[in-house]
Amino acid sequence: MDFTLTDEQELLQQTARALLENECPSTLVRAHMQDPSAVDPLWDKHLRDWVALADGELVDLCLFLTETGAVIAPGPYFATAALFAPLIKKVDRRLHDAVIAGEATGTVAMAGPEGEWTISSASKRTFVPEADRVDYVAVVLPGPRVLVTGGLPARQMETIDTTRRVFEIEVPRDAATPVEIDEADLTDLLERATVALAAELIGTARWLLDSTVAYTKERIQFDRPVGSFQGLQWKMVDMALDYERAAAAVSYAAMAIDAADPERHRAAHVAKAAAGRAALHCARGGLQCHGGIGYTWEHDLHLYLRRAYASEYLLGSVDWHLDRLAELLID
Amino acid sequence: MKLSWSEEDEAFRAELRQFLDAHAPPEARRRNRDYDLGDALPEWGRHWQATLFDNGWMIPAYPPELGGRNATPVQTLLYLEELNRQQIIRSLHFGGYAIVGPSLLEFGSEQQRELAAPSIRGDIVWCVGMSEPNAGSDLAGLQTRAVDDGDTFVVSGQKVWTSYAMIADRCFCYVRTDRDAPKHKGISVLMIDMDTPGIDVRPLRHISGKADFAEVFFDEVVVPKENLIGDLNGGWRITMGSLAHERGALWVEGVAASQQLVEELIELARDRGVAADAGVRRRLAAAYERTQSLRALGYKGFAGFAQGSSAPEHSYMKLATSEFRKELTQLGLDLEGPFGVVTGGEWGADPARWVNRHFIALAGTIGGGTSEIQRNVIASRVLGLPKG
Ligand SMILES: Cc1cc2nc3c(=O)[nH]c(=O)nc-3n(C[C@H](O)[C@H](O)[C@H](O)COP(=O)(O)OP(=O)(O)OC[C@H]3O[C@@H](n4cnc5c(N)ncnc54)[C@H](O)[C@@H]3O)c2cc1C
Repeated sequence: MDFTLTDEQELLQQTARALLENECPSTLVRAHMQDPSAVDPLWDKHLRDWVALADGELVDLCLFLTETGAVIAPGPYFATAALFAPLIKKVDRRLHDAVIAGEATGTVAMAGPEGEWTISSASKRTFVPEADRVDYVAVVLPGPRVLVTGGLPARQMETIDTTRRVFEIEVPRDAATPVEIDEADLTDLLERATVALAAELIGTARWLLDSTVAYTKERIQFDRPVGSFQGLQWKMVDMALDYERAAAAVSYAAMAIDAADPERHRAAHVAKAAAGRAALHCARGGLQCHGGIGYTWEHDLHLYLRRAYASEYLLGSVDWHLDRLAELLID
Repeated sequence: MKLSWSEEDEAFRAELRQFLDAHAPPEARRRNRDYDLGDALPEWGRHWQATLFDNGWMIPAYPPELGGRNATPVQTLLYLEELNRQQIIRSLHFGGYAIVGPSLLEFGSEQQRELAAPSIRGDIVWCVGMSEPNAGSDLAGLQTRAVDDGDTFVVSGQKVWTSYAMIADRCFCYVRTDRDAPKHKGISVLMIDMDTPGIDVRPLRHISGKADFAEVFFDEVVVPKENLIGDLNGGWRITMGSLAHERGALWVEGVAASQQLVEELIELARDRGVAADAGVRRRLAAAYERTQSLRALGYKGFAGFAQGSSAPEHSYMKLATSEFRKELTQLGLDLEGPFGVVTGGEWGADPARWVNRHFIALAGTIGGGTSEIQRNVIASRVLGLPKG
């Protein structure tokens, strides 16, 4: 298995990193807390041009999402590129073309009242990302079938994470006719979305780790940088190890999906479990290494910590993925 | 990024498979590397290592005269993958091919470099004398001294935990040649014939009960000056080199061993009738998750390494795989239940299989640099944290 990035992939990574660092500073993330429309220019001027990645190799989309995760970019990008685009490709090619061209946004409503992303026959859908601000909502129904609809009444579910807004919606009764979708296709695209979310978490974990290492080199106590204390050094080494192996696991899962390799199902569970574990480890450990300053509202650390926790419980937590993995390995 | 290698590389793998099918002796395929060498090297071991060498399969990256075939880094990786997948070992003693041979090539005189080939072929069996009772992690504190006596050095002191000392022809020995210099600057490396008068080898038993390392005592052992390797008082550079070589090649083996253990643990859980237990299932799945993510990390580091950049990922691999192996083998013990610690008699057909493996795993976080030292090294060299 060859992890060497192609020249194009390296360029993509560098361009995305520079763009997002410039265009999505934490001041914007904080402005979005008060007013979600604060990130509209980021979408209009930049991110819409990158939705096309959703129609290419997952490896490339993951490289990009790692960078959006590293700035915890708010807005419809993840919902549109990682959830809606692959689903709509199976049910409405015309709309798919518009989405890929950056002309329409969308999200997916699948999780039922329990919050699990499995097919539900209930009348409500929960954890629907950005449901109030996208152009289309694709509701997954038993069958499985998919109902694509325009604006729907959506109730915001307040969570710890302001950077990804999630909603509860009522399944519409007599709107447009639902379209059938292959169950295997649905599984495939959920797997894609799971790995995509894991890639985003990797970016978030990277920011937490890098900021922590940088801070402990600067902060002086007992006349020396706190990063020279072995107790903190080993904490950071263990965080870095979890981060490194998770990052590699996510790339592997993306490669396996791109190659339709039979390992891809296991790899997707491994990727999300490893990424969730790494992100929470870097969040908790990072906060501890920062001490009190990290616990203040002014410091950006809590924005990342919140995103890490919220993403861990979206599309399956570590334990949920381990249980699915156990089914594949043992049964 | 892609999952497969080029056709040329796959052809290399196919050729290796053919060779292994035709030549690997059944003894070399034993699982667990659990050999009790005692004081003699088995004949099949000598023969197998020489066969690998003569066919260019001992260290593929080397040229044919050194037991290789000028393989590329990717091919070297495929080679290690394949050996580990089939659980075939190259040699019963890694000192000669993994540490001494490469060090002689890099630091030896022209005459000494000629010893590299027989060392890699296993014709000369080496032990590596670094650790001493008062110099373990702090290797530079070593005290075994070599006194200049005209044409010879006279060596006195003690080494400890010296693997393979009982079967070795020679010792690659770290000695102090200048007691007044700062501790890193007074160390030299000597080749010492193990049958020189004044050398006393006392086997040490492991906690696993086996004895494949020893204490080695040197009492006024006379060593010719031409046996000095590299510069006088320049030995510290050679220690850095040999340890680096050891680490670079280890991850494939560590990962392959974990993969093997996970498969066996799943079998064991089924045999013990606990495969439906929720707690057991999570532990098994977590073991798989960790193994697979470490495997991916090894390959990712390799991609950087093959392109000539440093591979920080690999610094993590020894630490991670050796620590992890302790947990995996402990899981085996847990699954075996109360009888897991029974080592013999009528109670178990396969007495204490997992406990034995667990004991072997316990050495993995001590030998070749302890986990604590690995963490220190990562903290300073990879994360760039200030020295404590
Ligand atoms: C199976 C096996 C085979 C071996 N084979 C060989 C061989 O062939 N040749 C050879 O020369 N040696 C060999 N060794 C020895 C091995 O290299 C040493 O045991 C190892 O380097 C540790 O040294 P030590 O045992 O003296 O422990 P110490 O250095 O005394 O360490 C004791 C404890 O203190 C910790 N510690 C020490 N320094 C620090 C620090 N700076 N920060 C934090 N913690 C620290 C250690 O991690 C350890 O937990 C072998 C060991 C084993 C177990």
